[in-house]
Formats: sequence, C-alpha cells, structure tokens
Amino acid sequence: MLVTLVSWLVGLAAAYLAVGLVFAVAFVTRGAGRVDPVAAHGTWGFRLAILPGCAALWPLLARRWARGERAPVERTPHRDAAGPAEGAP
Amino acid sequence: MGLEYRAVGWNRQKKLYDLTLAAAVAVYLAAFVGVGLALKPNATAETLLIRAFGTAAFALLHVILSIGPLCRLSPRFLPLLYNRRHLGVTMFFLGLAHAALSIVQFHLFGDVNPLVSVFTSNAHYGDVADFPFQPLGLAALVVLFLMAATSHDFWLHNLTAPTWKALHMGVYVAYGLLVMHVALGALQAERSPLYVVLVGAGLAWVLGLHLYAAGREAARDRAGVGPAAGEEVGDGFVDVCAVDEIPDARARVVCAAGERVAIYRYGGRLAAVSSVCQHQNGPLGEGRVIDGCITCPWHGYQYVPETGESPPPFTERVPTFPVRVRDGRVQLDPRPRPAGRPAGSCSVKGAP
Repeated sequence: MLVTLVSWLVGLAAAYLAVGLVFAVAFVTRGAGRVDPVAAHGTWGFRLAILPGCAALWPLLARRWARGERAPVERTPHRDAAGPAEGAP
Repeated sequence: MGLEYRAVGWNRQKKLYDLTLAAAVAVYLAAFVGVGLALKPNATAETLLIRAFGTAAFALLHVILSIGPLCRLSPRFLPLLYNRRHLGVTMFFLGLAHAALSIVQFHLFGDVNPLVSVFTSNAHYGDVADFPFQPLGLAALVVLFLMAATSHDFWLHNLTAPTWKALHMGVYVAYGLLVMHVALGALQAERSPLYVVLVGAGLAWVLGLHLYAAGREAARDRAGVGPAAGEEVGDGFVDVCAVDEIPDARARVVCAAGERVAIYRYGGRLAAVSSVCQHQNGPLGEGRVIDGCITCPWHGYQYVPETGESPPPFTERVPTFPVRVRDGRVQLDPRPRPAGRPAGSCSVKGAP
C-alpha cells in the first residue's frame, strides 16, 4: 500500500519535472526575454543558471509567457500606501 | 536589476569570497576523511564521504543562518552577507552529494525504485523513536533545491523581493527538518554524547542569536522614533528628532506607514526614502551616502536621495517622503509618495 502510494507520488513528481525541463529549455532560449527584457541579452551562463528554477516553477512562467505579462512590481507597505509608481502601466 | 544578466557578476570581492569558501570546504572534507580513517580504519570511503558531506552541509547551514542576525547586531559582519547566496548554493551541493551517495549505498541495489525505497524502507511513521529520518533529509533537500535554483537575480526581479524572501525563509523549514534528520538518524547510531552536545549547541546558538537580534532590533525601532515620536506638528507632519542627531551621510530610521523610513542627511540637506531596497529589501537606512547616492549596505544598490531613483542607466526606485526642518527639529510627512514621484529634500537650516 505504502509502496504503491509513494511510487505514484514519485512518478507524479518525475512527470512534473520532465515537463518542466522541456519547458525550461524553451523558456531560457526564447521566453525569458519576453517576460523580462533584461534577460533577452543574458549570457548562456545565466540561462544555464536559471534553468533548474524554470523547470521547478514552470507553471508560473508558462502562464506569464502565454499571457505576455512582465515581472510584477514588488509590494511593500510603503508601495501599497503610495499607490502605483509613476509611469506604471 | 542591472543592465544584463550573467551567471555570476564576478568582482574581486566575490572571487575572494568564493575562493575562501571553496578552500574551507575542501580542507574540512579532507580533514574529516583523514581523521575518520585514522580513528576508524575499518570505515569505508563511502561512509566517510557520506558523513563528511552531510556534516559539512549542516555546519555550513549554521553559518548561513547566523549571518543575518549577526549583521543586524554589527555591520562588521556585512562582508559575509554580500555573497551569502553562494554559501547557500554550496550547501545545497554538499547536501546533494550526501543524499546521492546515501541513496547509492543504501537504496540503489534493491528491487524498489531507490527514491521510493527512501520513503518505504522504514515504514515506522507512527513511531517517534524509530521515525524514518531519511525522508526528512530528502524533504529538506527539496527546499534547499528550490532556494538554490532561485538564487539568481533574475528570480529576485521576476518573483519580486518580498515573494523571493518569503520563499527563501524556507531555510528555516529546511533547518528544522535537518535537525530532526540528524537527531533521528546519526545521533541514534552514535554512542558518544559529544554529537548530541554539538547538535544541541548549534540549535541553541541559532535560536538564541535570532531571538537576541530580534530583541535588539525591536528596541532600536522603538528608540529610533525619538521622544516626540508620532506627535503631529501640523500639515500632517510628525516630529522625528533634532537635526544634529543625524550624522552627515547617515540616516535616522523611523517607522511610518507600516515600514521603516530612512531620513538621510547629506551635504547640509535632508531627504527621506522608504528604507526597503528594491533589490533584496535590504535596510537602506543602515547604509551611507556615497558619491551623492544612498548606498544599500547589503549589495551596494544606489538611490538618489531626493528622487528615490537609481542613477541612470539603472531603473530601481523606492517611495519617498516629504521632510522639513522647524526650529532645529526634523519633521516627516508619513504619507509615502509613489516611487518615481520625488518628494524632494530640504536644507538642515529649515529652508526648502
């Protein structure tokens, strides 16, 4: 029973990471620059460095890439109290 | 966040930091294996390496967890903070080596998938004394992987600093899991009380240091607002302190609008900005004015005092606050202006 349950969970995690790895290769070569313009000119060392994180957090990046969204502006008590930054969309 | 992304933004300090780290890890591993072979000639190389990597990762985690509170207690420790992420990545790889060797030695040659075997070889999940310790270590390794994998500035920018920091608070979850992993694993196998004392001392050090630093910081927050703290003096401004209480090129930190505000004095003028650096939410109020810019003590990100904006071509910016001087006392409007809308500055003599 335990072996079956754990086997199923390990398989699920492996599938998640396999999809993530395929996505990550596409993202670091094409998508990163769309989501974050600074990344468009990133070195190959940089792309390799973010690849594991892209594989792990692929649903977040896939959604942002698909919707054409940019990185959000951080939220702090002062930014919330001040309202949108000048020039913000 | 800079003008382009590289794998590592190398400079002399980072190279020195990383060389020192690599040398320390190499010396520790060599010494552990050497002493281990001398004391236990029958121990296999695999066992010694598993323990060397595991203890190195655990010890390094204590160093990492100590850096934050030590920096809050004294700026002398700030150089350790500068490249702390490399410590974290190094610790992850040490833990990964420990886990990989352990799985090879204990789980690879059975009938069950090695990863499944980690969770099922000991199924006493309802027994506190015999609770499976290996899944705890693996869970900690997953948390440490997430942190190492998101350690690049790309993630800081794309997750935003508050979310990134919340994610990286997972280090405390990893630490808790690892303490239990060690207590239920290695400590059960060892007869010497020395190991119990070492793990207990490490836990007491980490907890004690965090509590002490938090207490000191809370006291500093209370003291920072001055005797007339929060007293409204007209036009929505509140009294903060006497002008002379702020040293040149330094800040007075007060709490307003739910967060710390840094009121900087520089070249006969005063300006106030949110004390939260956009890079890693570092304490801008504990920095200095260098080359006319407020400089974060953590990684050197800079902001023009009057505008709260990084000098071109950089694009970081923080909210600002109107500040004025009346009868030799600094007064602050605690309503922040949006980042990019300068609140301006005033003369220490009270003129605009």
